[in-house]
Amino acid sequence: MTNSSSTLKADNAMNRPIGYVVGGGLKANLFVRLTIPADQVQEGGFVVLESGNWQFYGLVTDLQLGSSDPRYAELPNTPRLSALTSRLLAEQTLFTNLEVLPALMLERGPAPDAPDYADWTRAHQEENRSRPLPIKTVPAHHSVTRLASAGDVAEIFGEPGGANFIVGRTREQDHPVCIDLEKFVQRSSGIFGATGSGKSFLTRIILAGLIQHDAASILVLDMHNEYGFDDTASDTGMPVVGLKTKFPGKVRIVGLGRASTIRNKTPDLHLEINESDIHPEDIELLSRELNLRETTSATLDALVHTFGYEGWFTAFKNMKVGSVIENEDGKKVPAPDSVAYWANEAGANAMAAEGLRNKMNRVFNRPYVMERAGNDPAAPNSLNHIIDALKAGQHVILSFGDYESDLDYLLVSNLLTRKIRETWEELTNAFRSHGSNEPRPLVIAVEESHKLLNREMASQTSFSTIAREMRKYYVTLLIIDQRPSQIYDEVMSQLGTRVSGWLGDENDIAAVLSGLAGRDALRGMLARLQPKEEVLLLGWGVPMPILVRSRRYDQKFWEELQGRSAPRTATQNLKDLGF
Amino acid sequence: MSAIAIGRLLRSNTSSCVIGCRVNQQNSPLFGEMLRIPLSNGLQIYGLVHEINIDDDGLVRQLVTAPEVSREVIEDNRQNRNMPVEMSVVFIGWERDGRVSHTRVPTPPLSLDEIFPCTASEILHFLEGGKFGYLRAILRNSELPAADLLTAHLRQVAAARQGAGADGVEAALREVIALLKDDYPVLMDVLSAVSEIQ
Repeated sequence: MTNSSSTLKADNAMNRPIGYVVGGGLKANLFVRLTIPADQVQEGGFVVLESGNWQFYGLVTDLQLGSSDPRYAELPNTPRLSALTSRLLAEQTLFTNLEVLPALMLERGPAPDAPDYADWTRAHQEENRSRPLPIKTVPAHHSVTRLASAGDVAEIFGEPGGANFIVGRTREQDHPVCIDLEKFVQRSSGIFGATGSGKSFLTRIILAGLIQHDAASILVLDMHNEYGFDDTASDTGMPVVGLKTKFPGKVRIVGLGRASTIRNKTPDLHLEINESDIHPEDIELLSRELNLRETTSATLDALVHTFGYEGWFTAFKNMKVGSVIENEDGKKVPAPDSVAYWANEAGANAMAAEGLRNKMNRVFNRPYVMERAGNDPAAPNSLNHIIDALKAGQHVILSFGDYESDLDYLLVSNLLTRKIRETWEELTNAFRSHGSNEPRPLVIAVEESHKLLNREMASQTSFSTIAREMRKYYVTLLIIDQRPSQIYDEVMSQLGTRVSGWLGDENDIAAVLSGLAGRDALRGMLARLQPKEEVLLLGWGVPMPILVRSRRYDQKFWEELQGRSAPRTATQNLKDLGF
Repeated sequence: MSAIAIGRLLRSNTSSCVIGCRVNQQNSPLFGEMLRIPLSNGLQIYGLVHEINIDDDGLVRQLVTAPEVSREVIEDNRQNRNMPVEMSVVFIGWERDGRVSHTRVPTPPLSLDEIFPCTASEILHFLEGGKFGYLRAILRNSELPAADLLTAHLRQVAAARQGAGADGVEAALREVIALLKDDYPVLMDVLSAVSEIQ
């Protein structure tokens, strides 16, 4: 048997009916009576319902056992009845219903040999090729239901190629399911899943797709140093290739702090932060981390008023707490270089200022915070380097190296993002007002997002502003997190595409599904995903929710993505030469 | 086609009839057996035997109390008695011009019309005319012993079909289940009885 005929036979087998519609509706989902054994259909199956001139597309969200009388289900009949009679009785009195979440409908028109074909063709002559529409009506009773074929999947999710990036395959039929990368970067997105559910691998796959397709510049805030250089999988011990290895010319690794190394390798750039780049709002973000008081804002405002935006940090750092001198009367008074002296001069609360000064020691003492980068006035600003690289179309992975504390992550991430926001706003305004070049889209991938986007932080940080507003300025977020319930609701509601692996916590499941139609039907599906194997795609960025078997991040993935085999190692080359 | 009549009609309506037979007929029909009644107008009616009655008379009542009854007296009584063996038959369909219908007969047979047993080929011919729709006439008649009648009938159907190389009684069982699945006690009763023949 040839490949084409075996594929055709397999496809024909896949197109066979699996049931027929028996009830339901738009709100309550549709019910399909199965005509094949229940073990041949699984939750998450992508099904097509054919009704007249329309095709309806939906997702299996539940399978329910039923019987025409509960007594048939409760009493096994075999001892009383013959095998034939038992089988026939079971076939007619016991059944399985699928609950199908309908999502899309597509007008196909009648078959070419149908009597009304000519009339229908004339009526639709002026229209372009029909597109799937959001579901607005229901299929008729007894509409034939089947599993989606390769053509159906391609019709809805696009043919692989170009901006259509294969993110996984349908579980039953192994048909490729794509996401449109151009659409993906137009809104903020999220990748969710419990620890160990394969979230990092999924992120690598999507980042690789974005870099390969060059849909946007990517900035990855790599808190755990996972994405840049080659790594080792924590559970299997297998090597995991880094994005730098596969995209050496496009990806730049930035390490935090001078002389930092990432996995014993030297990054392309070391990030040091000028004290003049730190603004008061960057410190206010750290309120919970530094245990700051309500008086912090007033104190910071006074500092800026006295020393300016670029000088307040250095000046405050150089002040001393508790420093006193004796005045002419022999009384101890605050020394001119003390916090209290400045506070009294500026009209700020001295105790509050001293308290803030003490708490900010943790920030003052960060090794990567410099009065000037490299202590050289002529030295370039590494923050600006990163911005320039992103503007030029390169991709930056900021690895935090040995700086693993929440303080480092919060301070650096928000500061960098704030500068990005300012830059892209300028670029966009220039584009719109003066016809300059259109800004290059930028996606900021944020790991451990709940630390930056929780309810307490979200209203203060640049990240929430980006999630809410920045798509107009070509900047979106890619949130990567295992506790979506801790992310601010307003941010979650702004997410376009959501890719979720297994989640066990009810609150996390509810958070991922918030604001989406059919969330009640999808709730159980998230808790029953196979970890590291299956993910659920949903949200604005995909035509309809769908469960896929995620791609493997392996050699085959890279060969398919980059269209060539992996570069040969030196050992392989020597072996070929006979050494 | 069997040509030996087993009896004649006593009384009838459009749903059933009662036939009378002589006691010692060699081909006495059995409970559940399928019979046919050809009418003079070209119609042929099909039915199932659902009851067989042998009534007593004054002589039999006296002979029963006798200390000994000789063989000759018994044979004489059976051969020559004036009371026929009565068989109740429920109609299950009819045929005209070779076309079979599993619905109520359009006209009843007349008194003294002859009744014939169905051969295996006649049974198969009748079944081909429908999809066991006549079973509803049996199953919904509360005066009939549905489980036992169906069992006997399906046993005959199975024998006829096996002889023809076809499947057994699967289609009939499907129809029974479809008709009775909302009546659990009756269905289980019928299926338990029918299971005896498999």
